[in-house]
Amino acid sequence: MSESLFDRLSAGLAQPLAAEPVTLVIFGGTGDLAHRKLLPALYNLHVDGLLPPRFAVVGIGRGDLTDEAYRDFAKDGVVHFSRRPPDEAVWKIFAESLYFVSASFDDPKAFAPLGSRLDVIEHERGLTGNRIYYLAVPPSMFVPTVTNLAHAKFIGPPDTPPFSRLIVEKPIGRDLASALTIDDAIAEVFDEKQIYRIDHYCGKETVQNILVMRFANSIFEPLFNQKYIDHVQITVAEEEGVGTRAGYYDQAGALRDMVQNHILQLLTLVAMEPPRSLDAEVVRDEKLEVIQSLRPIDAAAVDSQAVRAQYTAGFDLGSPVPGYRDEPGVDTGSRTETYVALQFFVDNWRWAGVPFFVRTGKRLPKRASEISIHLKGVPPILFNTDPAARLDPNVLSIRIQPNEGFALAISSKIPGPRVRIYPVKMDFQYGSTFGNISPEAYERLLLDVMAGDPTLFMRRDTVEAAWRWVMPVLDRWAEQKDAPLATYAAGDWGPPEADRLIESTGRRWRDL
Amino acid sequence: MSDRLTRVSSPAAIEDDLAALWRDAARDAPIARALMANLVVYRDCPAAEEVDLSAPLEGVPIDEVIERHPSRLIRLHHGGRPDPGAPVGATISVLLFDTAGARFGVEEIAVRSSCADASLPSIVRRLALGDIPTSIWWTEDLSHSTPLEALVTMGRQLLYDSRRWADLRRGFLALAALAAHPHGPDLADLNWRRLTPLRQALAHAVVAIGAPLDAPDPRALGLRVRHGRNERALAWLLAGWFSARLGWTANHEWPVTIEEQPDDEAILTVSLGAGAITATMTAQHVLVDYNGRVAPFSMAVPHESEAEAVAAELRSLTYDSDLRDALAALAARLTSSGSL
Repeated sequence: MSESLFDRLSAGLAQPLAAEPVTLVIFGGTGDLAHRKLLPALYNLHVDGLLPPRFAVVGIGRGDLTDEAYRDFAKDGVVHFSRRPPDEAVWKIFAESLYFVSASFDDPKAFAPLGSRLDVIEHERGLTGNRIYYLAVPPSMFVPTVTNLAHAKFIGPPDTPPFSRLIVEKPIGRDLASALTIDDAIAEVFDEKQIYRIDHYCGKETVQNILVMRFANSIFEPLFNQKYIDHVQITVAEEEGVGTRAGYYDQAGALRDMVQNHILQLLTLVAMEPPRSLDAEVVRDEKLEVIQSLRPIDAAAVDSQAVRAQYTAGFDLGSPVPGYRDEPGVDTGSRTETYVALQFFVDNWRWAGVPFFVRTGKRLPKRASEISIHLKGVPPILFNTDPAARLDPNVLSIRIQPNEGFALAISSKIPGPRVRIYPVKMDFQYGSTFGNISPEAYERLLLDVMAGDPTLFMRRDTVEAAWRWVMPVLDRWAEQKDAPLATYAAGDWGPPEADRLIESTGRRWRDL
Repeated sequence: MSDRLTRVSSPAAIEDDLAALWRDAARDAPIARALMANLVVYRDCPAAEEVDLSAPLEGVPIDEVIERHPSRLIRLHHGGRPDPGAPVGATISVLLFDTAGARFGVEEIAVRSSCADASLPSIVRRLALGDIPTSIWWTEDLSHSTPLEALVTMGRQLLYDSRRWADLRRGFLALAALAAHPHGPDLADLNWRRLTPLRQALAHAVVAIGAPLDAPDPRALGLRVRHGRNERALAWLLAGWFSARLGWTANHEWPVTIEEQPDDEAILTVSLGAGAITATMTAQHVLVDYNGRVAPFSMAVPHESEAEAVAAELRSLTYDSDLRDALAALAARLTSSGSL
C-alpha cells in the first residue's frame, strides 16, 4: 500500500503532542481557576506552539459577557498570573480562539442554545466536534452539569470520533460515600476512558521527575527498599493561612485537602514498583497497588498514628497573624484541622517495616513540599565509632517546591591532617540546571487531555481506594467531638504531638 | 539579573585560576556551579586582529544562552599564522545569575589561538570537562568560514544558523559533507528550527484535503515557494525537505519554484498542488488556506528569542534525520544542476 502524503510529510517530524482539532469548553469560565490558571496556561501553550492547529476555547458562565469582554478577562489573567507577559501580536492571534457563552449549568434549557453556539464556532474554525468539557465549578455542580451534558446529547461514545472528554477538578467528594455518588453519576454519562481527574501536583516537573529519577538512573532504584531505607518523610507545608478559601476549607480540613489526594499521589510515585511500560493504564495500575498496600489505620490506631491540630495566633515573618478561628469566614468554634501528621506503612515486600511519615499544614514557617528518603546509617565501626557524634545517615531529598530539584546528603572528610567528617550535599536544582523553563502544571495537564494521555490523572479506583484508606481516620476524629484539639502557633512547625509521633520511633522531622 | 567576575589568566593556569575565581564568587554567599554541557563557540580571528577576550561577542547572545543552558563556555578566537604553541592568551569569567532566589554561576574561558587547525582540538580536549556533552556553536557564516572538520567532529552537536549564509550553495554542500561523515556530529540549524511550525502545518494541511493531493506521482503536486528578504536559505531548506520526503530525486525534473517576495510581511508563502493549499508563515503564525474549499486554520509560531532557540537546540541532543535528508537532497540537486 502506498504511503499517503501526510505519512510522507509527517515521517520524522516531531508532531505536536496534541494534534487533533479540539474545542475546550470551560464550565466556570469566568471563575478564579480559569482566570489564574487555565487561560494563562492555554496562552503559554499557544506561545510555545503546542496547541492543536485547530482550536477554540469556549468559556461558560453566568455572567453576561461578549466574546470581546471575555478576551479582556482572559488577558487580565495572563497579565497577572502567566509565567510570560502577553505579547501583543501573539495575543491577538490567540484571542481569536476565545469565546464566551452565558449559561446556567444547572438549567437544562440553557444547553440547547449553548450547543447551537458551539456548532457555529466549530464550523467557523473548521473544528471537527472533538470537545473537552472542563468542570471548573464547585463539586456540588459536577452532577447537574454532566447530567445536562448528557440530556443535551453533547457526549459521544468513548471510542468513536469525534471525542468527548471530561476534566474534573479535585476534590472528588468529601468522603468515600460522596465520592462514590459523584463517580457513579459521572459514570452514567462518561466512560472512565473519557474522564480526567486532575490533581495539579501530578503536573509539576519535579513530581514527574520522581519516576525518571528512580527508573532512569541505576544508582537509586536498587536502594529503594526495606534493606536500605530507614524511613520516608513527605512534607507539604504552606506558609499562608486559609485565605479566601475558608468556606471550602472549614468543611474539608488538611486530611481531605492534602493527604487524600496530593500526598497519596506523591507516595505512589515514591513507593510504586517499576511499571512494565509507560502505558497509562500500566502506570496507574502500579499506583493503585501502592494505595491498596497501605496498612489500614484502624480506629484503635488512629490516636497513636495520626495527629491533627489547628493553628492559633502567631507570627509570619515577624508580623502578627490571627489564629484559624479568627480568620474571616471560619466558624469561631471550628474543630477543622489545619495540620495533620501521620505514620503509616506500605505492606508489601519492598517496603515491609519501613515507616512513612507525612505532615502537612497551614501557617507553617515556610512554603515547602519535599519527599525525603532516609537511608539506614552505617555500622558503628571505622568512621562511626564515636557514640557522641554519630554520622548523619544519607538522605535523598526530592524538593517539589520551591527550589525544585533533589539533593543527596553524604558524609565527606574535611580537608586537613585529622580525619574529621562533615555532612555535605550534592544538589541538583532545576532552576540553575535547566534555566527558568519549567511550564506550569496546568500546561502539561491540559496538553495531556488534548492528546488523550491519562497517565498523570487519577483513576476512579485509585481515588476511591484513597478515600477508603483515610476514612477510619476521618470517622475516628468525627467521633471525638469533645476531645481537646492540639494546637500550634502560626509560624511554628506544628504541634508538639507531631514531634512526639516521630520521636517516639527514634527519628525526627527533617529541618526544612 | 547577572553579574560577571573576570580575570586574565594564562593557558596553563586556567583551571587553577577558575577554582580561585569560584572561591571569590562564593565569598559573600553560597553559589551553585551550574553545568550541563561544554559549549564551544568558534570565532575566526585574523592574525592582525587584536582581541579583547574579556569583551562580549558582538551580535551573539552568549550570556542569555548559558543562563538557559548552563555550560562551561569555551570561546575560541582562532586564526592567524600557524603557530605550534599553546594559546597565546586566555581570560576566565564566572557569570553570576540570581533569579527567583536561585543563585548560580556559569564559567567561561576565552582563548586566543593561532595554532594549526589540526591541533585546535587539543585545546578543546584540554579545556572541556568530561562526562557531559560538548556542543560546537558556529557563530560565523559557515558558507565562508567552513567548519574545521577536526574541531566539529569532536563535538556531539554542531549548531549553526543557515540564515547567516551569504553563499547558500557552499553552505549546503559543506553541511551535506559533514552530515555524511561517519563521525559527524548531530546537526542543529536554527533556521531549520524556524521551519518546524510550517512543516507541521503542511503535514496537517494535507489531511483535510485528502485524496486530491494523494496523487500516485508526488511530482505532479508542484511546489512554489516565495520568500521574504533574507529568507532564501529557509525556502531552500523547505524545498530540500519536500524533495527528501516526496522522493524528488536529482534525476527527475524538479517541480519546485523558488522566488523572492521582498515587500511582503510573510517569511515564506508555500503553494502546493497548484494552489490547492497555500501556507503563509509570518513571525506570529502559519495560516493555511484551501482556496475556499475547507475552513482555513492557523498554527502559532513559537515566540522565542535567538537565545531561547539556541538553548532549546542545545538541550535537544537528537539525530535529526529530516534535516540530514533535506541536506542530502539539496546536495544531490546542487551537484546535478550545478547552481541554485
